[in-house]
Amino acid sequence: MVLPSSEAATRSAMHDDGLISSPGAWAKEVRQSAAERAQNQGLPERRDEYWKYTRPDFFVQESVTLEAQVSPKIQIFNNQLKAEILFENAVLAAETLPKVANCSIESLDDAADLDLHWVSDIYGKLELAGQYPVRRSLAALNTAKASQGVLVHATGQVSDPIRIHAVCAGRTDAIIHHVVKVDAGASVTLIETGQYGARCNVVMEVEVADTGHFHHIRVQDDHEIHALTHIFARIGADSTFKSFTMTSGGKMTRNECILELIGDNSAVSVAGACLGDNDFHHDDTVFITHDAVNCESRQVFKKVLRNGAVGVFQGKILVKAGAQKTDGYQISQSLLLDEDSQFLAKPELEIYADDVACSHGSTCGAIDEQALFYLRSRGIPEAKAVDLLTLSFMAQAIEEIEDSKISAAILNHLTDTLEAR
Amino acid sequence: MLEIKNLQVQLEEEDKQILKGVDLSLEAGKVHAIMGPNGSGKSTLSYVLSGKGGYEVTAGSAHLEGNDILSMEPEERAAAGLFLAFQYPVEIPGVGNMTFLRTAVNSQRKLRGEPEMSAGEFLKVVRAKAKDLKIDAEMLKRPVNVGFSGGEKKRNEILQMAMLEPKMCILDETDSGLDVDAMKLVAQGVNALRDGKRTFLVITHYQRLLDHIKPDVVHIMAAGRIIKSGGPELALQVENNGYSDLLEGSA
Amino acid sequence: MAMDDVQVKDGVDAETVDAVIALSGAYKYGWNTEIEMEYAPKGLSEDIVRLISSKNEEPKWMLEWRLAAYRRWLELKEPDWAMVEYPKIDFQDQYYYARPKSMEEKPKSLDDVDPKLLETYKKLGIPLKEQALLAGVEAPEGERRVAVDAVFDSVSLGTTFQAELLQAGVIFCSISEAIREHPDLVKRYLGTVVPVSDNYYATLNSAVFSDGSFVYIPPGVRCPMELSTYFRINAENTGQFERTLIIADKEAYVSYLEGCTAPQRDVAQLHAAVVELVLLDDAEIKYSTVQNWYPGDENGKGGIYNFVTKRADCRGDRSKVMWTQVETGSAVTWKYPSCVLRGDDSQGEFYSIAIANNMQQADTGTKMVHLGKNTKSRIVSKGISAGKAQNTYRGLVSMHPKAKNSRNYTQCDSLLIGDKCGAHTVPYIEVKNNSSRVEHEATTSKVDDDQLFYCRSRGMGEEDAVALVVNGFCKEVLQALPMEFAMEAQALVAISLEGSVG
Repeated sequence: MVLPSSEAATRSAMHDDGLISSPGAWAKEVRQSAAERAQNQGLPERRDEYWKYTRPDFFVQESVTLEAQVSPKIQIFNNQLKAEILFENAVLAAETLPKVANCSIESLDDAADLDLHWVSDIYGKLELAGQYPVRRSLAALNTAKASQGVLVHATGQVSDPIRIHAVCAGRTDAIIHHVVKVDAGASVTLIETGQYGARCNVVMEVEVADTGHFHHIRVQDDHEIHALTHIFARIGADSTFKSFTMTSGGKMTRNECILELIGDNSAVSVAGACLGDNDFHHDDTVFITHDAVNCESRQVFKKVLRNGAVGVFQGKILVKAGAQKTDGYQISQSLLLDEDSQFLAKPELEIYADDVACSHGSTCGAIDEQALFYLRSRGIPEAKAVDLLTLSFMAQAIEEIEDSKISAAILNHLTDTLEAR
Repeated sequence: MLEIKNLQVQLEEEDKQILKGVDLSLEAGKVHAIMGPNGSGKSTLSYVLSGKGGYEVTAGSAHLEGNDILSMEPEERAAAGLFLAFQYPVEIPGVGNMTFLRTAVNSQRKLRGEPEMSAGEFLKVVRAKAKDLKIDAEMLKRPVNVGFSGGEKKRNEILQMAMLEPKMCILDETDSGLDVDAMKLVAQGVNALRDGKRTFLVITHYQRLLDHIKPDVVHIMAAGRIIKSGGPELALQVENNGYSDLLEGSA
Repeated sequence: MAMDDVQVKDGVDAETVDAVIALSGAYKYGWNTEIEMEYAPKGLSEDIVRLISSKNEEPKWMLEWRLAAYRRWLELKEPDWAMVEYPKIDFQDQYYYARPKSMEEKPKSLDDVDPKLLETYKKLGIPLKEQALLAGVEAPEGERRVAVDAVFDSVSLGTTFQAELLQAGVIFCSISEAIREHPDLVKRYLGTVVPVSDNYYATLNSAVFSDGSFVYIPPGVRCPMELSTYFRINAENTGQFERTLIIADKEAYVSYLEGCTAPQRDVAQLHAAVVELVLLDDAEIKYSTVQNWYPGDENGKGGIYNFVTKRADCRGDRSKVMWTQVETGSAVTWKYPSCVLRGDDSQGEFYSIAIANNMQQADTGTKMVHLGKNTKSRIVSKGISAGKAQNTYRGLVSMHPKAKNSRNYTQCDSLLIGDKCGAHTVPYIEVKNNSSRVEHEATTSKVDDDQLFYCRSRGMGEEDAVALVVNGFCKEVLQALPMEFAMEAQALVAISLEGSVG
């Protein structure tokens, strides 16, 4: 990006006077400090309490060991959505970014070369805020290294969902960093599908202004083999944040979601439906901080596991002093379809305000024999009956999706996925 | 239609015999009723016939149209034409009633090697049958039995029966928990399915259901055995004198 | 207005109302017994370990065991994962052994014990006399007799009803006596439930424990009375390190109670106990604790640091253990009474009330480790936070692959009184087989305003109303306690919440 020469000269003088930063300086600075942060904190190790149930090995090792697998399985949302952003082999197809009313969509790589950009107020800032009380060095490393990602700025109601779709091949090692800014009164829905790389480290920072609404849907099936994702979000007053993830593929997936409610009367929801089979390890780690009055947060996670699949849930609700009238709800449930599967959970509450109603529930067990018999007595074969009960079990998580068209699509997708296996 | 010979059953988990040799022969097109005090083994009989786990058949046999049903899986028994209306229908959140019904109908057809019912045809049939049972469109959309009243659950069972068109219907205490109006509605649904070929086994504690579903034969069951069989008058005898006379008589 | 009319949602009875209303005054047990004491030199070293061993006239194997523990302890680091904060403990600035001078000569019976010491227990409301029995008078109907082992600082003063218990084959004595008199039993079981190197405080205890209680119930015996140990820390700057070992042989049953108090002092004191329970086939142990150590003052000065390791090993099939605890005292509590459900069909239960007021910090909970088939566990935890206190439930439920058809149910409720305190829940759930079912529920809420208002509109003061409502909140756990303890616990709930409102 080149500036007109006369203006460039002026700016150059201003640089010399230290009045404005040089092109890309904000990016250099934030990346530099993130690199130092990661360095100082050190990378996660097996003995870290925060990685108690998931081994960080694949995420911290130098090289990518497995090739991406593109399965010709069932596709979701194909040709259904008007606005699509494409990633190929972990690189954003910047020349084909869609034009969407009330919303600007840009490339991180481009913005990093500018001297001023709104993203400099968010990029790496929310990630930094999310480094306490738990160290998340791999997210800091992402801030330091990522050059690919999209910057989505919703300035009003965005009527249709925007989809980010990724395709890759071989041993692509993806480091992706998205930033979303939702202005006051604006709303946007972002859908993520596909796989960025054989291994990926994805960070999404989301700033929701007062009266803003953000919805996020993610489908992890045709999926990275090893995926670590972080969402860092800061939510203003009278606003909404909802994120739902369906996971049915990959070998090891850890989705972290770190939310901070800083404005009153807001509602957030983080939900997930996970279908695990064989050599599959899935970890949902959620940390919700209530630092405002009269907010509601919900965590709803359902996992159905078989053939030795492992499901992990670490969820925490932190209610800070003064965050009165907090309504915090958290449920994590697993259905183990055979003897080999495992469910490991650490659902936490940490509460420093008294006028609150917080609860969590966690259950784990085999399929309900009564229900199974009921279905079979109606002539439904056992395998099909198990699928139906799986759908039944997942329903509560899928109901967290606000848009009924999307939830119907997810439900169909889940049904098809069950039938195909 | 259904031949039960010397059926002896005990619980799998503990050494407790519940059925001590049940003999029953149900001819096609007839309505048989089994009455008996609590704990006599009536519900166990219905569960064993439909293939519920947790029971061990130690002796005897049960044949549906000559086929040994005890060796079949529950879904195979259903496809063979056996239907159990549950005393306590199970709630299945997140699975729509329609989806459930259609899956059941087509699963059975598939097991029998018949073509599946198309969505359009299915919809037409189910709406018509639901209307007869006063089941509205809303109830069809809701998850299976979730939030249904006692009466709605039992009507839903009869709707399933109507859709699946079984040859042999077992009704396990279908009248329990119903008021008179709800019971009449259920009985009408059942009676509408009586076509001279379909066979019914109505299990009940009280005679009142049999006022609405008139049986051809009444059996009295006690302590895991059929102790007496007779015509509809036997049910009236129970109504008037209770079970104690009959139990003493058999002892 | 008539007290009988009071009805509160969670079913608080009139008895509770009376108990609560009758109570007043802060920590009741904060007085000190003026008595001449004999101390070991301050600090911790191999020599101190040897000294403790020789004071207890222990055999060589016991000394070796202690020394091994001491050497191991030197290599360990103090745990820092609990949600508690306290100044670094200077382990060299403590006395590890303190005994009343009058105890130098072992008293032949309780009658020979210094009357001043006996007076202490009388004042605490602990009966050390067997008069009723000695006079040949039957105990009044419904009143159960309790045998007591009284531990004062580092030594056991004596144990009541020993002779009668022995007739039933039950051994109940101080652990120092057991090491001398029943070395085979001690050797066979000591350190097998809580290994010497289990954790920092357990290892420390293994090196320096001075006394404690020992119980052995032979096969098929139902212990004819409740057994109890009463711990009193009296000396200043002295740590209490007691060790309890209870063995319930096949088909044996015992109910055991434990109580603790300490004087009000400005300097914090350390208490690091280890309790080991061994259960063979079909055995049952009920272990109840009312822990009322001095909690420190409202500014967090003084109080007991309570770092305790309690564990039951259900080795036998169909064995059953029940932990019930009421934790109202201590400045800092670090305690997780646990059950290892090794035998098939064994059962573990944990009922807990933990109250933290003022500057108290409690990090407590349980571990249920399911190893055997068809094992069952139940956890009911009620945490109450008031003042500026922090109260944490920390628990583990683990279903191992071989623990088929096992069950766990956990209910974990927290109540907050005031907006300066904290309530935290940190459960770990690990399920490694699918025939087992685990259910965990937790809630956090404030004291119900409607309930408070209802009580106050009937004329109760705010504090009484809070105590009443809290007692209702704790009902499920209080009911699990033996009768006498339940009354005491209800009263304690009221006392420990004083100053929490207004």
